[in-house]
Amino acid sequence: MKKRGIGVGVSFYGTGYGNGFPDISRAIVRLLPGGRVGIYCGVTEVGQGAKTAMIQIGAETLGLTEKDIDLIHEDTSLMPDSGTAAATRQTYNTGNAIKVACENMRKELFEKAKIELELNSTAGLVLENGEVVLSFFPQKRISFKRLSEIYKDEIIEAGGEFVAQTTTMDPETGQGAPYWPYTFNACAVEVEVDTNTGIVDLLRAVFAQDAGRAVNPHLLEGQMDGGFAMALGYALFEDLKLENGAMKNNKFSKYLIPTAMDMIDVEKIIIEDPENTAPYGAKGIGEPVMIPIAPAILNAIYNAIGIRITELPVTPENLMKAIREAEANKQN
Amino acid sequence: MVDISITVNDKLYKISINENMRLIDVLRDELGLIGTKEGCGEGECGACTVIMDGEIVNSCLVMGFQADGSSIVTIEGLEREGDLHPVQRAYIEAGAVQCGFCIPGMVLSTKALLDKNPNPSDEEIREGISGNLCRCTGYNKMLEATKKAMEYIKGE
Amino acid sequence: MKLNVVGKNIIRVDAKSKVTGKALYPQDIYLDNMVYGKTVRSTKPHANIKIDISEAEKVDGVLKIFTYKDVPNKNEHGVVLKDHEVFASKKVVRIGEPIAFIVGETQKVCQEAYRKIKIDYEDLPAVFDPVEAMREEAPKIHGDSNIIYHYKLRHGDIEEGKKQSKYIVENIYKSPMVEHAFLQPEAGLGYLEEDGTVVVVIATQYPHYDREEVAINLGLPEEKVKIINTNVGGAFGAREDISAQIHLALAAMVLKRPVKVIFSREESFIAHSKRHPMIMKYKTGADENGYLQYMEAEIIGDSGAHCSWAINVLRKAGVHATGPYVIPNVKVDTYAVYTNNPFTGAMRGFGATQVPIAHEQQMDALAEKLGMNPIEFRMKNIFRKGSMTATGQILTDSVPLDRCIEAVDEKLKFSQLWKEVK
Repeated sequence: MKKRGIGVGVSFYGTGYGNGFPDISRAIVRLLPGGRVGIYCGVTEVGQGAKTAMIQIGAETLGLTEKDIDLIHEDTSLMPDSGTAAATRQTYNTGNAIKVACENMRKELFEKAKIELELNSTAGLVLENGEVVLSFFPQKRISFKRLSEIYKDEIIEAGGEFVAQTTTMDPETGQGAPYWPYTFNACAVEVEVDTNTGIVDLLRAVFAQDAGRAVNPHLLEGQMDGGFAMALGYALFEDLKLENGAMKNNKFSKYLIPTAMDMIDVEKIIIEDPENTAPYGAKGIGEPVMIPIAPAILNAIYNAIGIRITELPVTPENLMKAIREAEANKQN
Repeated sequence: MVDISITVNDKLYKISINENMRLIDVLRDELGLIGTKEGCGEGECGACTVIMDGEIVNSCLVMGFQADGSSIVTIEGLEREGDLHPVQRAYIEAGAVQCGFCIPGMVLSTKALLDKNPNPSDEEIREGISGNLCRCTGYNKMLEATKKAMEYIKGE
Repeated sequence: MKLNVVGKNIIRVDAKSKVTGKALYPQDIYLDNMVYGKTVRSTKPHANIKIDISEAEKVDGVLKIFTYKDVPNKNEHGVVLKDHEVFASKKVVRIGEPIAFIVGETQKVCQEAYRKIKIDYEDLPAVFDPVEAMREEAPKIHGDSNIIYHYKLRHGDIEEGKKQSKYIVENIYKSPMVEHAFLQPEAGLGYLEEDGTVVVVIATQYPHYDREEVAINLGLPEEKVKIINTNVGGAFGAREDISAQIHLALAAMVLKRPVKVIFSREESFIAHSKRHPMIMKYKTGADENGYLQYMEAEIIGDSGAHCSWAINVLRKAGVHATGPYVIPNVKVDTYAVYTNNPFTGAMRGFGATQVPIAHEQQMDALAEKLGMNPIEFRMKNIFRKGSMTATGQILTDSVPLDRCIEAVDEKLKFSQLWKEVK
């Protein structure tokens, strides 16, 4: 028999290494020949889109477009350490470091412009499309390109650093402020469970993710779809079949991950509520996007068939076993 | 060693290869076409997908000598005089790319699908790319990209 | 705030190189005069070993077979505890642990030498169940206890919480060990620059950490080690621990030739970490008005044969064990435990992905006892701006959980459907 059910799952997720461990990101910004700007930063692009998001944060701060910035992030001899691409910390921590470095760079550019434009102070200077401009007398302006020509031997650069604020927890009580900031989300799904085969079909999925502010909504949606798919595998198929320390399912013909046919359209909602300490309010979402999905599916299965599944994954075999056990318990 | 002649991306190659070389090894190690990726070596993940005489194949499951006389399209063969193929363009614009390792195979499967069926339904698109695993995107933006590519191809 | 670039759907800067097949991953790089490496790994979960490479060394085309004896400085690494050996010296603690690294002119040469390596295993008692591993009499993996870490969370008064609870639900939940399954198997190159700098080309989550480890093992200053991070074909936490970095650096330094290694998919599975499986015992109570009064949890995480991030993962699991709910009385104990299973480490969510399997089902079970819609029940108890977490932290800013829940409720018509079913 096919039975339908709905379920919801919610979660919170604390960003960063946590527990007072020094969580530091650094960046250096340099004016390059031709007036382009180089951001040197050990941020890793693992597919999540950090390279693009970091350039967006830099461009925003320097009044440029993403096309004017080169991110140098591949070679340890050229870039400062910005910590790991993990703990959902790059957008928040490294984004902050890049923003600080770009703000410092803005000051450097103003100082140089003050000299070249023969001004008394840097007051009133702004950055606009690759130029330093005196906002109330715009005839006074000088381009990044011109500055790079004048200062070709004395490179214009600035650094920036961000240290996350967390505290160690008390060893006996666990009291403390271990992470910051926290990110929130909620997912609701409708499933159909076939009680004859144990197959769980997803019919609908709605997923809302708090991002503080979305640096790049398309990238964020891509993370939400990807997190959903990974969680779907976690909930319904993935099993290494460990036996005496050996993985029996040790390749893709045996360890099944979701294909395009297993995935469904996910109705994605981005919730924005800018976080004060974050770069332009943006919090990380890389890990949170997989968390509330499996719980929503499990609650929907219960809603459909009245059996609480306490062990993942809910493969057809495992579900049939649970159904049989529930029936046996009922008869006893 | 065995002599084969294969056409790859419209270019004819006559080469001498080891009998136990797979097509993926010929493409990558002999011809330097590194856009074809190896993800599993057992035909499960589709990262090594190429188009062989109009059909998609896993190049890790085809022996080099079996490709003798065939015509192959790899990811490097999709651009035309610097212009991206509509499927490539659509993948970029739809945000369907993340880590990128599955992408060459995925793009070729999408192209092969649209070559055969210019108007696939959502279900047919999902089926058409179901031989290509992706761990990053959840496939939904690929679906979007495929629909976008359909429009681009119609408009050409 | 008016923003011009942040908030816009800027096209990914690396998209074009990826759709044209031009983006380079380590396996795509071929260097002149390049040779190949192959890792020899343990096939036993717990055993004393003796390794004999004499026959393998004689294979034509083999340049060198590296073992623990060849590591110039410390034969150890690890993100938190240094409990991985670069090459197993006396005993192996898991299947897949590196024992040797063969370098030969071709991959075929390496394969042939691989078959001729003799490893004499003397099996040791092994333990695969973390609960058993916690017992005093259990075989020890490293040192004299298998318990790596115990996190304690104590908030409010549990006995008072029980008294206040009209409804209590109790369950044991189990989450499995799973694999990251990124699409790009590990691969890398090592080579020397003219000034003697050792370069490792790899796809990693943290190049500066890799540099630090390589420098320590090789006994070099950090500025003599360079990590080049290529495009990374997915990571999800599995590229945080060392994979081939140290082996490649060592081989390049000694042989003064570029060395390349590519893992097969099966090797990738046994080489990197997995998600911690957890056993989660939960008790949660609410009063007659539907307000949460207490929660008690004991969570045991299987770290496998190495610590990796176990301490941080079980800490994160403990902090997130309540879920995003205000609960005045909380007691949580989490444990990270060594076993002879594949080692577990970072994976997307890092301990915070496991606990919601428990707390979210507890919430639904309580809502059912109260005869409440699960959304209504959650809305009574969730974190809002100004709420205090169980660690005593005040959420002072950006807590839009209510908006997330309302949005999914509205879009799926959850509450409406719930009423209809009723």
